[in-house]
Amino acid sequence: MSSTHAATVTGSLPATAPAGIAALATKALTIGAIGIGLTIAGLFVSGGAKVAYSWLVGLTFWTGIAIGMLFLVMIHHIVDASWSTVIRRQFEHGLAAFKWLGLLFIPLVAAALYDKQLVWKWFDPAFDLAKVGGTGTVGEDILWVKKAGLLNPTFFVGATVVSFLIWIWLSARLRKASFTQDFDGDLKWTSHNRTTAAFGLALTALTMTLSIIFWVKSLDYHFFSTMYGVWYFAGCIRAALSAGVIIMVWLYLRGDYKGILNNNHLHSIGQLIFAFTVFWAYITFSQYFLIWNANIPEETFWYSLREINNSDGVPNQWKWVGLFLLFGHFFLPFLTLIHYRVKLSKTWMPRIAFYIAFVFLIDLIYNVWPSKKNELGDPLPFLAVHQLWTITAVIGIGGVCVWAYLKSFPTAKLIPIRDPRINESLTHHE
Amino acid sequence: MPAQPHGLIATFDTVPDVYHAAEQVRDAGYKSWDCITPFPIHGLDKAMGLGRSKVPRFSFVGGVIGFTTGMSLIWWTGAVDYPLVVGGKPYFSPMFAFPVAYELTILFTAFATIGGMLFLNGLPMHYHPVLKSDQIMRGLDDKFLIVIDARDPKFNLTATKALLEKAGGKDVSELEA
Repeated sequence: MSSTHAATVTGSLPATAPAGIAALATKALTIGAIGIGLTIAGLFVSGGAKVAYSWLVGLTFWTGIAIGMLFLVMIHHIVDASWSTVIRRQFEHGLAAFKWLGLLFIPLVAAALYDKQLVWKWFDPAFDLAKVGGTGTVGEDILWVKKAGLLNPTFFVGATVVSFLIWIWLSARLRKASFTQDFDGDLKWTSHNRTTAAFGLALTALTMTLSIIFWVKSLDYHFFSTMYGVWYFAGCIRAALSAGVIIMVWLYLRGDYKGILNNNHLHSIGQLIFAFTVFWAYITFSQYFLIWNANIPEETFWYSLREINNSDGVPNQWKWVGLFLLFGHFFLPFLTLIHYRVKLSKTWMPRIAFYIAFVFLIDLIYNVWPSKKNELGDPLPFLAVHQLWTITAVIGIGGVCVWAYLKSFPTAKLIPIRDPRINESLTHHE
Repeated sequence: MPAQPHGLIATFDTVPDVYHAAEQVRDAGYKSWDCITPFPIHGLDKAMGLGRSKVPRFSFVGGVIGFTTGMSLIWWTGAVDYPLVVGGKPYFSPMFAFPVAYELTILFTAFATIGGMLFLNGLPMHYHPVLKSDQIMRGLDDKFLIVIDARDPKFNLTATKALLEKAGGKDVSELEA
């Protein structure tokens, strides 16, 4: 079991941080600070309500990647996977971002509790729906009254706090067991992680679904969709796999992964991205199709306002964003990744990975922003000054996440050298 | 025995033997030949100089035919042959045709993949001259065989035999056609 092969490969690993990582971490944190600073400056340009939406997009984007990584690590353990052992360590480092993401969530929730009409309008039952093209108040709206048992600030805060605590706790368990095994090579850590994965997958699936329902779906609390959690799951996994590809190729080009990464690792992760591209399309289409077919106003409004204005029925910008998602988030990656040679290319795979992560962001913007309506009930346009703060928020939160990853990077071996599957992974073949 | 045999068959004892022998046969420029091994040997396809499988092309064509069949089926039945208003929906929309088209894409892709694989492998094949070899049963058990067909343009009874022997082949013998 114990791996002479792995030992030779990693024998030259420096005990301290590989050169340049510390400097890179500082750079990431600086970029993050600048992004956050610019987003704060945005408060004075576009106002709190819009910047809060931007911040929400940034948070759901990066938390989504972290959740995806958490799922991938746990799926690796629960199915006793072998090939992904070399990349699993990088996902484990990525999980270090959870506590910072939780911290960055606090200002948003605090602001929403301070000004209850700011983000999630149902925080305040006295919210005047005329401000978003409706009539009466939230408290008089039967669709809120019936959902009020779940959609209230107490539950929102509770679900968000509990979700983050569970994610942070699971991450800590998975990381500790994996990192400790590097030193003692004890097989108990592998079964320990398998146990964590067994209950962790169920816990993460539930908390992720609840969180995205609260954070994004409830922005338009009329909406019904049983696909919502699964939709977010698909996006999270795609983005996390994309981050995995970027990290793999980055480490290869840096030299760390030379002799570790082979073509079949890229091929396998490419196949997974391809599979989840189809899965995303299946879920997203199913949501659209069922709503289109049933034609119930409480559901169709959600897509209607993403196609035409509520006031005059004129197509709005979101129609083109929706079409871009259809062609850009499905057809383009599908027709590209279907080729064997593309999946092996260290040039193309990172490009496709960056692109998929970018379109995941567009997908989130498409889900979040049209819920921000003017007094006619029309969604604010896609292209506007306030979208600048979405970009700065993504950069700001991203800088912190990348910094958390890079800070964790030198604290463990490059690959889990004493994992029982490491030899299989190093010699991974088709 | 007829003047021209079906080909030559050689036996090898170990995986590295047959692997390196395959490289030599490949480098000698032979195209019409094969290895018979009791289990799959990783990398042997490269050692033999084989390219990627052509099955995916069949799969793709099957998928496209499946998708168009599904779409046309719903369009023809719903909008042309027997138009009925159902649920206030148009006679035809790709929306409700999609589940059918999608399922047929998968079904036809699967058919084309299986069919394409059988076709490219020349299956079903009820008889092959190697079945007459004394070694064939060992080749399914604990030996490794290389068969070079006589129809290969480079085939030359003496030279090919010499090549197989030089590559480490044992019991190099002619296969009855």
